[in-house]
Amino acid sequence: MPRLILSRLVFMVLAGFLLLSFLFALFHMIPGDPARLMAGDNAPEELVQSIRRAYGFDQPLHVQYLSYMQRVLMGDFGVSNYTRQPVLEVVLPRIGNTAALAGCAMLFAMTVSLILGSFSAMFWGGPVDKGVTAFSLVGICTPVFVTGIIGIYLFGVYLRWLPIGGMSSWQHFILPVLTLGAYQAAMFTRMVRSCMVDALGRDFITTARAKGAPERRVVFHHALRNALLPIITLFGLGVGHTLGGSVVTETIFNWPGLGRLMVDSILTRDLPVMQGAIFFFAMIFILVNLLVDILYTWADPRVSYD
Amino acid sequence: MRKFFRDFSRDPVALVFGLILLGIYIVAITAQWIAPGDPFETNLRNGMQPPSWEHWFGTDQFGRDVLSRVILATQVTARLTTLAILFAVVLGVPIGMMVGYHGGLADAIVMRITDIMLIFPMIMLAIVIVVIAGPSERGVIIALGLSQLPEMIRISRGVTLSLKEELYVEAAVAAGARWPWILRRHVWPNISTPIIVQATLTLPVFVLNASALSYLGLGVQPPTPEWGQMLNEAKDFLINAPYLIIGPSVALFLFVLSANLVGDALQETLNPRTKSRRITRRFYRVSRKSALS
Repeated sequence: MPRLILSRLVFMVLAGFLLLSFLFALFHMIPGDPARLMAGDNAPEELVQSIRRAYGFDQPLHVQYLSYMQRVLMGDFGVSNYTRQPVLEVVLPRIGNTAALAGCAMLFAMTVSLILGSFSAMFWGGPVDKGVTAFSLVGICTPVFVTGIIGIYLFGVYLRWLPIGGMSSWQHFILPVLTLGAYQAAMFTRMVRSCMVDALGRDFITTARAKGAPERRVVFHHALRNALLPIITLFGLGVGHTLGGSVVTETIFNWPGLGRLMVDSILTRDLPVMQGAIFFFAMIFILVNLLVDILYTWADPRVSYD
Repeated sequence: MRKFFRDFSRDPVALVFGLILLGIYIVAITAQWIAPGDPFETNLRNGMQPPSWEHWFGTDQFGRDVLSRVILATQVTARLTTLAILFAVVLGVPIGMMVGYHGGLADAIVMRITDIMLIFPMIMLAIVIVVIAGPSERGVIIALGLSQLPEMIRISRGVTLSLKEELYVEAAVAAGARWPWILRRHVWPNISTPIIVQATLTLPVFVLNASALSYLGLGVQPPTPEWGQMLNEAKDFLINAPYLIIGPSVALFLFVLSANLVGDALQETLNPRTKSRRITRRFYRVSRKSALS
């Protein structure tokens, strides 16, 4: 276990290093002059020249690369082209907001899917099962932005029950979390159901039933426990998926998170913020993958990553 | 082939949604002719009209007929996703076959690269591509195609690896056939079925992601209509013209639903597996690829 964690941490550092190099290359692959971009289209030529000198854009590439890496290692990702705020100050609070949204959506999706999936498997082939299956099929076929817009119209515009943008109170959480969570719930429900159907077909279930255990106990005690292992893996993969989905959700509901920052910085061509946002988003993703791996070896000691 | 159609037509759900999917593609191909109005013609005095016999889905803020725009968007989406799938197949299958056949260092390097690509969600890749190529249709095609590339390489490599052990391949080698001939003549015919299945399973994911990118403003650019982009515009007029979201949402839902069901049915007919395993595979695929929507 410690060896696994250590090797994964080394991998993370390596991946971060590669990512930074890639982002540096990206900075230079984008068509257009970065100094001109910072100065604005109508800026006088002297200003562009002075920016070029101040930021070292006139230096040879390898010198620029070294100084960029040096600055980043000191935690200096530069300043935003527009607000002149340090990128780190812009990005860090956003991470918490995204985590709050994605975390709540994950909790919602896990709860709903465990309940629906178990009941669906319990009444396998019956009307409940068919209903749940149809619901989850509709769910995975409806993109987040359609659910979100319908939710905004229904609860925000028509009924006027809920706020539709920002995150200043707990009510602001309801629509975004439900929107993002519903899609995940639909996807998870399919998985939980199939895992449970699989588990309920095993021999030990027949044994439990033969012993006269009540059906509720058979399903939620014997079957669910044994189905839990694949389900944990799926939930783990789902965390990454939810983070990806949060980009669209944050854009719909004006949520001040990392995903929206990333999209906004691209649309406004704010290169330093873009680099910082992409870097942290990718690192979070790698970190989540690492945690899932560790959780998995903890849940099933038979799995080893040597 | 006849057996395939018989199996396929025995499943009524698959048959119905197969016909719907076929209908969607016919609409896409004939979009220019069947659209009732000009999808680009603006008429400000006619803006924001609720649905009527003349304009089934109403008109948008510029007075453009939403139905015509939805129909043209069908064509845009069908074109985008088809090209993206072709991109992944044309690039991925030869690479997969070659590294699978030759093995060695190139194989190791290619497999490590696909491992790394699979770690990151599709959106990271898409965003980086869009940054380089600029928000455009071309950017979406490359981003979607690249996101599916590792999967295509893995499938074709896996099949090639197992075929290498087959007697007829060994016989061809003994007969002095060169590797391009062997790959084309003996390996490719066996790869086409899993590739077709994979491509169908990818279709709904691509449709969802293409429209999500366009919704974010990173994909198809106005005035070209695209469902996600139309929804993004319609969102600003929810109070006065909520009917604007009907057309694009229904079209998007129908396309994704029928593509999903047809993909499932196709997989069941072409390479039957137990159901639970199929869903598990699906989840892995979906969770990696459609991290956007």
